[in-house]
Amino acid sequence: MPVAASAIYFLNLRGDVLINRLYRDDVGGNMVDAFRMHIMQTKELGTCPVRQIGGCSFFYMRISNVYIVIVVSSNANVACAFKFVVEAVALFKSYFGGAFDEDAIRNNFVLIYELLDEIMDFGYPQNLSPEILKLYITQEGVRSPFSSKQPLDKPVPNATLQVTGAVGWRREGLAYKKNEVFLDIVESVNLLMSSKGSVLRCDVTGKILMKCFLSGMPDLKLGLNDKIGLEKESQLKNRPTKSGKTIELDDVTFHQCVNLTRFNSEKTVSFVPPDGEFELMKYRITEGVNLPFRVLPTIKELGRTRMEVNVKVKSVFGAKMFALGVVIKIPVPKQTAKTSFQVTSGRAKYNASIDCLVWKIRKFPGQTEPTLSAEIELISTIAEKKSWTRPPIQMEFQVPMFTASGLRVRFLKVWEKSGYNTVEWVRYITKAGSYEVRC
Amino acid sequence: MALSGMRGLSVFISDVRNCQNKEQERLRVDKELGNVRTRFKNEKGLSPYEKKKYVWKMLYIYMLGYDVDFGHMEAVSLISAPKYPEKQVGYIVTACLLNENHDFLRLAINTVRNDIIGRNETFQCLALTLVGNIGGREFAESLAADVQKLLISSSCRPLVRKKAALCLLRLYRKNPDVVNVDGWADRMAQLLDERDLGVLTSSMSLLVALVSNNHEAYWSCLPKCVKTLERLARNQDIPQEYTYYGIPSPWLQVKTMRALQYFPTVEDPNTRRSLFEVLQRILMGTDVVKNVNKNNASHAVLFEALALVMHLDAEKEMMSQCVALLGKFIAVREPNIRYLGLENMTRMLMVTDVQDIIKRHQAQIITSLKDPDISIRRRALDLLYGMCDVSNAKDIVEELLQYLSSADFAMREELSLKAAILAEKFAPDLSWYVDVILQLIDKAGDFVSDDIWFRVVQFVTNNEDLQSYAAAKAREYLNKPAIHETMVKVSAYILGEYGHLLARRPGYSPKELFTIIHEKHPTVSTSTIPILLSSYAKILMHTQPPEPELQNQIWTIFNKYESCIDVEIQQRAAEYFALSRKGASLMDILAEMPKFPERQSALIRKAEDAEVDTAEQSAIKLRAQQQMSTALVVTDQRPPNGMPAQPSIGPLSLVKVPSETVDSNPGDQGLTHPNGVVYKEDPQPPSQDIIGDLLGTLSIEGPPGAVAQSPQSATYEAEGAPSAADAAALVPVGEESGSVQPIGNINERFYALCLKDSGVLYEDPNIQIGIKAEWRAHQGRLVLFLGNKNTASLGSVQALILPPTHLKMELSLVPETIPPRAQVQCPLEVMNLRPSRDVAVLDFSYKFGPTMVNVKLRLPAVLNKFLQPITVSPEEFFPQWRSLSGPPLKLQEVVRGVRPLPLPEMANLFNTYRLTVCPGLDPNPNNLVASTTFYSETTRAMLCLVRIETDPADRTQLRMTVASGDPTLTFELKEFIKEQLVSIPTAPQRPQGPAAPPPPVAPASQDPGALLAGLL
Repeated sequence: MPVAASAIYFLNLRGDVLINRLYRDDVGGNMVDAFRMHIMQTKELGTCPVRQIGGCSFFYMRISNVYIVIVVSSNANVACAFKFVVEAVALFKSYFGGAFDEDAIRNNFVLIYELLDEIMDFGYPQNLSPEILKLYITQEGVRSPFSSKQPLDKPVPNATLQVTGAVGWRREGLAYKKNEVFLDIVESVNLLMSSKGSVLRCDVTGKILMKCFLSGMPDLKLGLNDKIGLEKESQLKNRPTKSGKTIELDDVTFHQCVNLTRFNSEKTVSFVPPDGEFELMKYRITEGVNLPFRVLPTIKELGRTRMEVNVKVKSVFGAKMFALGVVIKIPVPKQTAKTSFQVTSGRAKYNASIDCLVWKIRKFPGQTEPTLSAEIELISTIAEKKSWTRPPIQMEFQVPMFTASGLRVRFLKVWEKSGYNTVEWVRYITKAGSYEVRC
Repeated sequence: MALSGMRGLSVFISDVRNCQNKEQERLRVDKELGNVRTRFKNEKGLSPYEKKKYVWKMLYIYMLGYDVDFGHMEAVSLISAPKYPEKQVGYIVTACLLNENHDFLRLAINTVRNDIIGRNETFQCLALTLVGNIGGREFAESLAADVQKLLISSSCRPLVRKKAALCLLRLYRKNPDVVNVDGWADRMAQLLDERDLGVLTSSMSLLVALVSNNHEAYWSCLPKCVKTLERLARNQDIPQEYTYYGIPSPWLQVKTMRALQYFPTVEDPNTRRSLFEVLQRILMGTDVVKNVNKNNASHAVLFEALALVMHLDAEKEMMSQCVALLGKFIAVREPNIRYLGLENMTRMLMVTDVQDIIKRHQAQIITSLKDPDISIRRRALDLLYGMCDVSNAKDIVEELLQYLSSADFAMREELSLKAAILAEKFAPDLSWYVDVILQLIDKAGDFVSDDIWFRVVQFVTNNEDLQSYAAAKAREYLNKPAIHETMVKVSAYILGEYGHLLARRPGYSPKELFTIIHEKHPTVSTSTIPILLSSYAKILMHTQPPEPELQNQIWTIFNKYESCIDVEIQQRAAEYFALSRKGASLMDILAEMPKFPERQSALIRKAEDAEVDTAEQSAIKLRAQQQMSTALVVTDQRPPNGMPAQPSIGPLSLVKVPSETVDSNPGDQGLTHPNGVVYKEDPQPPSQDIIGDLLGTLSIEGPPGAVAQSPQSATYEAEGAPSAADAAALVPVGEESGSVQPIGNINERFYALCLKDSGVLYEDPNIQIGIKAEWRAHQGRLVLFLGNKNTASLGSVQALILPPTHLKMELSLVPETIPPRAQVQCPLEVMNLRPSRDVAVLDFSYKFGPTMVNVKLRLPAVLNKFLQPITVSPEEFFPQWRSLSGPPLKLQEVVRGVRPLPLPEMANLFNTYRLTVCPGLDPNPNNLVASTTFYSETTRAMLCLVRIETDPADRTQLRMTVASGDPTLTFELKEFIKEQLVSIPTAPQRPQGPAAPPPPVAPASQDPGALLAGLL
């Protein structure tokens, strides 16, 4: 097992240390000064997450307004270190009830120290699962909503047995009045489109999130409309594949609860779920992506001081659906002085601090085509006119009940010894990742 | 500034100050910039108040470090506003945001001019400040005249004139050609009479700039300056507000003295007297007090006064007073003052001969070396370095060595370099130098640059009496358990070259030397391994007869490195291995390194460059250089185009190309060095030496005093003693104008060529004569290579052979001129008629520019060239030996005064003279038997037999028996061998024997000078 960290620091944006923990002696206590001097106070902040300064490697990551810095002096596993940071943040979030920022850290020093002691030992990552840790770190934090549902009358079970048992992620003897399973498919679409409308890069990263409130030790089986699963099924049942769309999933990763041997042999996703919220699987799709929006920009520079911007956005999902929180950011030159707009829906304004026209549409029905036309006046400068680099137009949105990949849940079966009935809820949502259109 | 009225501005500033981090600040600033842009773009136009407010915001943003590339128009337009607050913003923002190259400034020039010639004083001041701050060419062209007028106008207030003087100064500094200052001398003199000290101070600054450019025109200002100084320092006639801690306007005093330093001297005796009086007062009246500010001010004045005293070259008494004062300073506890004291002492050292007075403070300076403050330590080191001379070198260098072990790492390199230079420059004796450098390497190996150890090797190579001492020292250092790699390099090199000189001492046998060097082998890096390999090869070569065990060990090592990935190591290993199997030719090629040609030390050169930089004022610089030239014992002997250095081979390469390369490629300017070391030469003189540092020679050939008296009239040919010859080579170039000095020792070159067939016969700055010979029986073919080293051609070239009677020589035609950088070959046929030891002489002359150069050179067509080695078996030998009985065919002689040689080395010597030693013929191990064949036209092939009987108890005498079929041959050969045995000065590999005069026992006709005289 590779080393992941010699020390971990949490810094605010000014570079002050909020909290830190040294796991090994091979880095000095003033390492964070080097980080501040050589990374935070230079323009290199944010360019490369791994930097080497004076024989030590610094891995850093910004989460809201906190920098998390890992320092190692030996040859560490970088991927492991970053995964550790991500997992630790998820853990903190579940303890603090969602938010992870400077204030949350300041309010929970004791808890964080206790957790930091637990999740890493001498630089080696340990169990980071919130469900398990909550069994024996019962410090007061702001508890997440689902854990408050947890029956507290049960005696605290033997943690060791729990961690070392065959199903280390689930406790025995859970009981719920109402047995429910929530399944969310969340996809984010990454797109880079040229100004002519041809797709340069496009992919979808999706994850399936589950929230289980099930009694006992249930065994679940999930069926999706993915290609491998369907083919296998048709082989087994000896009947031809149903017509209809099948999805080819790339880079599938599962939660540790999924029985991989059964997946390899039968291509079915079967598992004993942990209690509460977890991420069942992640996948990526590169082909056959349904883009929810098309953007058609025309930007004309009229002389040195005037510009005309016309942007048409077309929603291509079903007319009954609608997108929420659509934001379109149209970059303009730095010397923009005056702007005037005409929009068919939503609102637009000029934001000088990000040099963009920001067009917001709260509710965006499918199969519609709102447009924005703006006139921009530029101020003259003494510097040689630098040709404007024309950064891409960026878009943010959320489309519920729509999957860009077309993935659907075919079935979710639950078996339990006691044979209770379960209620299954399934939700789909598509969000924008980096959705960019060149203009 | 009326900030209270501008709420938007104060809100913005407080917003920015309240930002938590840089990113927030950037967002806020970008937002504000957007706002400002929108406002400026507003068609309705802005009120003057708004304009002022936004321009202030722009300035604030600009000062925070953000780019502001718009709004300059608004700023410039504010300049022409009628009200002061707006005008002020306009001027300030324009001065900050714009530089002289911006076109926008053109718009402003007219307004600025109006303000300058206007009547409003505050506007005048604002405008002058702007012009001073921006000071572009256009401003200078259009405004300088107005500013000048303002400066001398009597109606202006001092405040304006002060600003005008400074503004003019800035314009003048930037564009001295645009500002017309012709005829300003009188005006400046007038200005210096000014009573107002503010105006006077500004005018003095202006004067400093003017005088630094051209002091001639301002002579009339000189007495005024002295007067001003008198007024300040003596009469203290100034208003209260211009004194600073009781010192009358220190700034003005400093400036005045600075201005005075630009005049070469003060001629008028009265002025001079009063100036010295003032200076004396300053020197006497300054003391160290408690108050830091007062100290700073009074010391600023004092040090400027010191600089002026140095510049004026005051009488000795005043100087010694200065030194005494500085001596007091360096004893003070305050580090700043001590620093200044040391620094000024160093400066003083360069100017005048106060060394003796400074030496009195030596102890105090040495204590400063241990100061906790590194800058003080550096200054102390500089000073020690500067004040070192023959008398105190030993103390100072020893102090430096001692200090080396405790010095900071940052200083060690400089320290070791300086110690090395001092040791070299002022060495009282030679072994001391070697001791110092070895200690240096031992103590601070990491900081000793290659130059230093190259130098020590050069030094040892060129001084024979030092070689065995150095070898013994090197052996001692190798005994230490852990030594630095540089030490391994030096020791291995020296032991390889000279270890055999000590072979008879216990613990110095080749085997032991090899073992102790080889012990270090596992610890060294690849750069050292080639040197170790060379040492092994040399040790092996010196072990005659070879010890099989040692030989096997060394061969194993060579074998191992023959497949080394490093090309240098691989080549050396392969070549040494091949050579060591060749026996006799190994002797030739691996013979001892020749002396390095005379060259100024690279270290000293380095140091000189650095020193000249530190001199700051012109006068000081000049004098510093003068001093340098007298201090230097050696000047660079090379002519401008330089003696070609040997590039490309890397340091200390012993064997590179066998001489066959030269044979097969006669067009190539192959230059064979004495003793078989062949270097490839660049036909173009290479820019500067790569290994030149190693080839450069030592400046020390003994204490400098000895060199100074060396006779300059010494002529080379009559000169046997190389010590004098070397000394002559050291004569500074300037003193021997017209004559051309040869490079290297001609005698040495001749002796070297007696042993081998190609090499340089003669070299001087203009020409190089190389020689290559082939011998077959009694005939020989020599080729003379005449190479012109200059870029101009050499004329009237003449070569004449003066052959002795026994040789028949025919020289082919020599061309009249040698074109620039060309080489001419002249074949020379030689035929040996009968045995004789006489030598042929080449009378060579050429003309370079106006100088006619004529040299007489002995040609290496000597007896042993006609010998052919032959090995005889006992069956052949004894009948021959017996058949040649008694004189004149067999001659016997007891030779005394032979230089003691171990038997194996003597055998080597015989082998090099082509007399084959036949081991095992004589049952007595102390005897040697050798045989050879001699060829001449009269005798044809003639077998010669030689027997040497040595006395193990007394190596200085031996009995020699020579036998051959011809009485003349027997006699000549006997004399020849005797000559060689007696003349050999050191090792058999150095038969050229530069240290020894020509053989004392040889017949008078053998003396080269006498021989030459006879021939002529």
